[in-house]
Amino acid sequence: MPPSAPAGLRVRDLRKSYGPVEAVRGVSFDVAPGEIFGLLGLNGAGKTTVIECLLGLREPDAGSVTLGEIDVRRQPQAARRHLGAQLQFASLQDKITPRQALALFGSFYAEAVAPSDLLARFQLTDKAGAAFASLSGGQRQRLFLALAMVNDPSVLVLDEPTAGLDPQSRRELHALIRELRASGRAVLLSTHYLEEAHQLCDRVGILHAGRLLATAAPSDLIARASARPRLFFRAAAAVAAAELSRLPGVTAVQPQADGSCALATNAAARTAGALAHLLTQAGIELLDLRMDRPSLEDVFLELTGSAWTGNDAEAPR
Amino acid sequence: MKHGSALRGLFGHAWLTLRLNFRSLQALSYGYLVPVFFLLAFGSVFRSDTPPLLHQMGQLLTITILGGACFGLPTGLVAERERGVWRRYRLLPVSSGGLVAGTIAARIVIVAGAVVLQVALARWIYGTPWPSHPLAGIAAYLVVAWAFLGLGLLIAALADDVPAVQALGQCLFLPMIMIGGVGVPLAALPAWAQRLAGFMPGRYAVDVLQRCVADPRGLAGAGFSLGALLVIGAAGGLVGTKLFRWDAGRRVGRRGLAWSGVALGAWLAVGLAAAGTGRLEPVLPGTAYEQITPEQVDAITYDDLPEDNELVTRMSPPFARGHEPAFVLGFREKLAAWPPGHVDDAGQRVRNLLSVAAVADICADLHEAEIGRMVYDQLRIAVGDARLRLVLAWVILRPDDGQVLAGIPELNLKRRPAERVVRERSTLYAKKYLGRLLGKLHD
Repeated sequence: MPPSAPAGLRVRDLRKSYGPVEAVRGVSFDVAPGEIFGLLGLNGAGKTTVIECLLGLREPDAGSVTLGEIDVRRQPQAARRHLGAQLQFASLQDKITPRQALALFGSFYAEAVAPSDLLARFQLTDKAGAAFASLSGGQRQRLFLALAMVNDPSVLVLDEPTAGLDPQSRRELHALIRELRASGRAVLLSTHYLEEAHQLCDRVGILHAGRLLATAAPSDLIARASARPRLFFRAAAAVAAAELSRLPGVTAVQPQADGSCALATNAAARTAGALAHLLTQAGIELLDLRMDRPSLEDVFLELTGSAWTGNDAEAPR
Repeated sequence: MKHGSALRGLFGHAWLTLRLNFRSLQALSYGYLVPVFFLLAFGSVFRSDTPPLLHQMGQLLTITILGGACFGLPTGLVAERERGVWRRYRLLPVSSGGLVAGTIAARIVIVAGAVVLQVALARWIYGTPWPSHPLAGIAAYLVVAWAFLGLGLLIAALADDVPAVQALGQCLFLPMIMIGGVGVPLAALPAWAQRLAGFMPGRYAVDVLQRCVADPRGLAGAGFSLGALLVIGAAGGLVGTKLFRWDAGRRVGRRGLAWSGVALGAWLAVGLAAAGTGRLEPVLPGTAYEQITPEQVDAITYDDLPEDNELVTRMSPPFARGHEPAFVLGFREKLAAWPPGHVDDAGQRVRNLLSVAAVADICADLHEAEIGRMVYDQLRIAVGDARLRLVLAWVILRPDDGQVLAGIPELNLKRRPAERVVRERSTLYAKKYLGRLLGKLHD
């Protein structure tokens, strides 16, 4: 556990409007120590407004944000001593070096982590004296993460930390974020990448049009979804649909345009075994077999009625 | 674990701002090369003055401070805001006022460097004398920087992006340069522009800086200008801080425009106060006496003058060499060494010396008649008869031009008569002296 840990982050009935537009409509969630909570939503869903409100960058119309016993709205300076944040739309001066930035930001806190420790932890020692402008995207994000850690916070807010990074840099950053969780910090992560959320987050909240539609572990959300796993196979000869529909667990048979066939099933393993047996007995060679499980994308579609249009295709698999 | 504090952080921020400035080639070029360019430009025009460039230093330094404040400060602030640097700063446990103060402190040091560079280069290249009052000069610099940096902060608050900083900065910079008594000397402006300049801070900045550079009295008598600059700076700083934006996405809106009115209201108040106290009367160029023609000199009459032994404008006969009274010997020595009797501008030099005779006369000094004679003698030594004729004629024909000295305690003239009376009495003495120089009056 970090030294001065308030017990996690609590957001209750947060509301914020811009003129007639209700950007955030009664959002509530908790992030416990040692937990990564993912905030998922498309552009305009209200993620940035939620994050800005809980960081004190924007004044909410209603609701409360607390870090342990500290009310962020009433005691913003006290809250900032326990809060670390990496913002999506923030930068540093071109000529500043990582060591200078860490020393400067640390100097505002009564207790700060030594720059050399942070440089080592976030693999920036070699770039300690390099100008910010010369750092790669991954190095910059690691520096921002280090800056978020400069006060050894108990709660971390990471707004799209891997946006625009190459897969290698993302993997490195994921490892660092997992380390932060392992050290007992509460981590709030906003991301466009569903797969990233699935891999990293203990729980996710799906935000849509300013409302939090669901909050649960990714696997629980998927299990609750009405979408079922599907087996896709291609055989050397056609198999009658009637025979396929009699296989155990199969709820639907869906011939595909490319000549393959999809079997919707609620017992994927049994269906796969029975399919293999059927084809062997019929003397038909099985050319290809794969299974698609329901994903957060299906959950998102079910909950919001909108297809996910984030940049998930770029996310690491 | 290292220990820090908000105060340490603010010092660190100011120090880092300075260091980053000195790492930026662009900032160095703008902050130091441009002032050198202005120095060379002024030098190319005024290098043959005696002494060279001394009378333009107030203008030159004002341009440098104005540029650093109206462009340097807001450009840096807005560029950092656009990049999101201030958005990140916002997460620190410190107030916006502290961080802004640190940025301003760094800018004061940066601009001070340019000012020192200009003064040193002027000395080195053109032989311009060092400022006569360096300590008062530091105080004057801080007051001028305060006034202009307050405006810079206001520009930073109002401008949405760096191009807008340039546009807004020019809106303040150019009028002050052209008709505000900064780029073009006040005395060279038409009367309407001189009055308008009284509503702008540039005129007062030039005044206080020039006094520290070349006026023997330093900042004495600069109270109004200093006050005007403090008021204008306070209003600009207050509004600039009030409207300060951390985030490029936020806009100022109508509220901002209303607050800007408060800042401009300070300009208006200063101008009205200057007008109400008679400070906006047009001034002539320092060499106006050179425009006086022989015909104008000849046309001056002396019929209205009191006799030398009458109640006013008394004047003793010439002293017999070697038989001067002890008071005369002592006072003559003091008068010869009196700094206002040696200012570079011959017109002002004469007015200063005339003020001595006038004040002694008005105050009915025990030695008023001897002083009247000694001033005449000293004027001939300090100015030379040929030029003295022109200057005295100018004083007679334009009694309201230039400045008079009402308080001269350094010559033991302790009372302080009204300036208007000193001006009238100076004119009478000028006539007596001119009449003698032209042979129209006799001892």
